[in-house]
Amino acid sequence: MKQKQNLHLQKLKSGRSEAESVRIDDFFNALDQKLDLPLYGKNLIFQHFIRAFEYYQDQGCDVNEICERIDPNHLGDFFASNQRRSYPLDNAAIIYPLGMKFGQMPMFRLSVELKEDIEPILLQLALDFTMKRFPTFSAVIKNGFFWHYLETTNHILQAEEEKDVPCKPISILLRSYRSLRVLYYKKRISVEFFHSITDGSGGMVFLKTLLGEYFRLHGKIFTYGCCVKNPDELPDEAELVNEFKNAQGKGDFSKFVDKKSIQLDGKLSKTGVTRIIHFIMDSDELKKVSRSYNGTVTAYLCAILMLAAKKSIVRNDGIFNIQIPVNMRKFNHSVTLRNYSMYFNATENLSQIEDKKELIEDIAAQIKDKGDETHMNQMMKITGKLIASLNFVPLFIKVPIVQTVYGYLSNSIIGCTLSNLGVIEMPQELQDELDRFQFILMPGIPNRVTSSMVTYRKKAVFTVIKNCHETVFEEEVYRLLEEDGLAIETEGSVEYES
Amino acid sequence: MNPRIIYPIPERQSSFYRTLRNIVRIVFLCASAVCLLVNLLVKGKMWSLIVIWSLFSIWKLVFSLRMVEFSIFSHTIRISFYLAVLLLLIEHFLARGWAQTVIPIVLFTFLLLMIIIFYVTYDRKARHLSSIMLLGILCLASIPYSIHSWPITNWVAFAFSTASFVLFLVMVIINRKDILYELKVRLNTKQS
Repeated sequence: MKQKQNLHLQKLKSGRSEAESVRIDDFFNALDQKLDLPLYGKNLIFQHFIRAFEYYQDQGCDVNEICERIDPNHLGDFFASNQRRSYPLDNAAIIYPLGMKFGQMPMFRLSVELKEDIEPILLQLALDFTMKRFPTFSAVIKNGFFWHYLETTNHILQAEEEKDVPCKPISILLRSYRSLRVLYYKKRISVEFFHSITDGSGGMVFLKTLLGEYFRLHGKIFTYGCCVKNPDELPDEAELVNEFKNAQGKGDFSKFVDKKSIQLDGKLSKTGVTRIIHFIMDSDELKKVSRSYNGTVTAYLCAILMLAAKKSIVRNDGIFNIQIPVNMRKFNHSVTLRNYSMYFNATENLSQIEDKKELIEDIAAQIKDKGDETHMNQMMKITGKLIASLNFVPLFIKVPIVQTVYGYLSNSIIGCTLSNLGVIEMPQELQDELDRFQFILMPGIPNRVTSSMVTYRKKAVFTVIKNCHETVFEEEVYRLLEEDGLAIETEGSVEYES
Repeated sequence: MNPRIIYPIPERQSSFYRTLRNIVRIVFLCASAVCLLVNLLVKGKMWSLIVIWSLFSIWKLVFSLRMVEFSIFSHTIRISFYLAVLLLLIEHFLARGWAQTVIPIVLFTFLLLMIIIFYVTYDRKARHLSSIMLLGILCLASIPYSIHSWPITNWVAFAFSTASFVLFLVMVIINRKDILYELKVRLNTKQS
C-alpha cells in the first residue's frame, strides 16, 4: 500500500520543478502528522488527497494553489486523536433506538440539486473537512445500562454514489460506526440521517455546511454565517445542548395520547419506501392559493392530504390524524443541532369533510391552537416527565416493552406526517449554484405515507413518500393541486419492489 | 401524472435473508411447541427446555442481531452467555456432575481470547472495554457456582476460575481510567 502511495506521489511530482516537488513532499508529510489512524484509515485519507491533487492538476491549478485549498490543517485534530466524548440522547431522540426492529430504522434524507454534476472527490474532501465541526454527527449510538447514548468517533465517512432505495437502514454489520450517510447522484448531494442524532433543521445546517465546503474547494468565495457554518471553527457548545430540559409549563399526560387514526388502504411494504414523488411548485403561487382559502401553506397542504386520504380509503368513516412537527427553535432562537422539535396532530373525521375551504380554515385554527408555544412546551414537559419516570428501569427491560408498545403509542395514532422545513437560505454568493432542496421522511410502520416540504428561493418541493403500492393517494394529491391552478412539475422514483 | 425519474433504479434486492428469517422463525416456534408438548406427554427429563433454549440462542445469535453497538466483542459475550446457560440446563436436566468444570474452562477461554484481541488492537478497541468487563463478570459468577458444587467440583474448575479472576483483575488495574469512564457513561441517567 505504501509503495502504491509512493508511486502516486512520484506521479504527482513528475515534470515538476524541484521547489514544487519539495512543496508536495511537505504537504504529504504535514498530512501524515494529522492522521493517527490505523493503516487502512490512513491510506484511505491519503487516497482522498492524492485524488484531489490529481483533480486540481487536471484543472490546471498550480501546486501552491492546490496545497492552500486542500491544506491538511482543514482536518483539524479530528483524525489525529481518538478522544471519546459521550452525550446523553435528547428527549426526542431517546425513543428511536428503543423502538428499532430488524429492517426498521427511523431515517430522513436532505438533498440538494446543484446546477452542475457533482465532483465526487471534492465532496469526499468536503466531508473529511466538515465532520470535525459536528461532533454529534460523527457519533454512534451505544448501550448504557439505563439509556442509549451517543459517543463520538473519528471513523472516516465515505461519500458514496447513490445506487439504492433512499433511507435504507444503515447496515450495522458491514459498517458499524455510522449514524449518517452521504450520497451523490448526478447533480444531487444527499445526506441520510438516523433520526437519533438530529432533526430536519439540525441536519440542514450540516448539509449547508458540507455544501459550503464543497464550493470552497471549487474555488467559490462566500461569507460564513448563520446559513453556512465555518467548518474550521470549534463546535459551539450551545449546538450540543438538549433543549428539552429547559421546557416550561405543566405536563398533562392526557395530552400525550390521541385516538387511533385510520390508515391508507394498501398492503404495507416490508422493505420500506415504495415510491417517492416530488411536486415542484412556485412558492409564491402556493402561498397565494393558500391565502385564498384563509389558510397557511401548511394548513393548505394538510387539507390536500386529508382530501386525498378520503379519496384513497374505501372505509373512510373514522379519524385521520396528520402529525405536524413544530420546530421549537422558532420560539426561543436556540442554535442546538440536536433534536428540538415537538409535534401535534391535525385531526379530522374523513367522512364528515365536505368543503375544502372550511377544512382548510379548521386545520389552520388547529395549527394556531395546538401548535403554539404553550402547548408545545407542555408536550416537552410531558416527554421529560415520562422519561424521568423510566430513568431507573434497565435498558434490557425497556427495549422489549417499548418495541411492543411503540407502534400503539406513536405511529398508530397518526395516518400521515407533514413536515415543513420552511424556506432554506444560502449565502448570496452561492445562491445561483443551487437549484432546489428535497426532504424525504421515512414512514414508520403502520403508516403508508408521509409528506414533507422544503422551499428554496421560488421553488417549493412538496414530497409524498409511500410505503404501499396503491397509487390513488398521490394521483389525488396531484389532481387537487392542479385543480387550484398550481403549475406542478413532478419528479420522483420508480415503483420500488416490496 | 407522469413524474420524471430522478432516482437511480436499484438492483433487484435479494430477499433471501428476510425469507430465510421468516421461515426459520416459524420452524423454530413449531419445533419448540412440538418438543414441549411431546416432552410433557411422555414425561421424564425436561429435554425440551434444552431444545427450546438452543433454538432461542440460534435465533438471537444468528437471526436477531443487535441493532445497536454490534461488535465482535458484544457478540462474543452474548455467545458465551447463551452457551453457559445451555451447559447449565444440560447439567441440571440431563446429566449431572460435569458443568462445574466445563463452564469455567469455556468462559476462561472466551475471556482470554477477547483480552488478546483487545490488547492487540488496543488503540481502536478501547471502546469495547465494557463488553469484556461483562464477560469478566460472567467468569467471576462461575466461581461461587464451582464452590457451591463442592465436592463435585475438582481442582481444574478452581484453577480456571482463579485464572479468570486474575486476568480480570489485571485488566481492571491496567485499564482503571477507561473502566471508570465506561461506568460513569453507561450508568448515567441524566439527560445532557
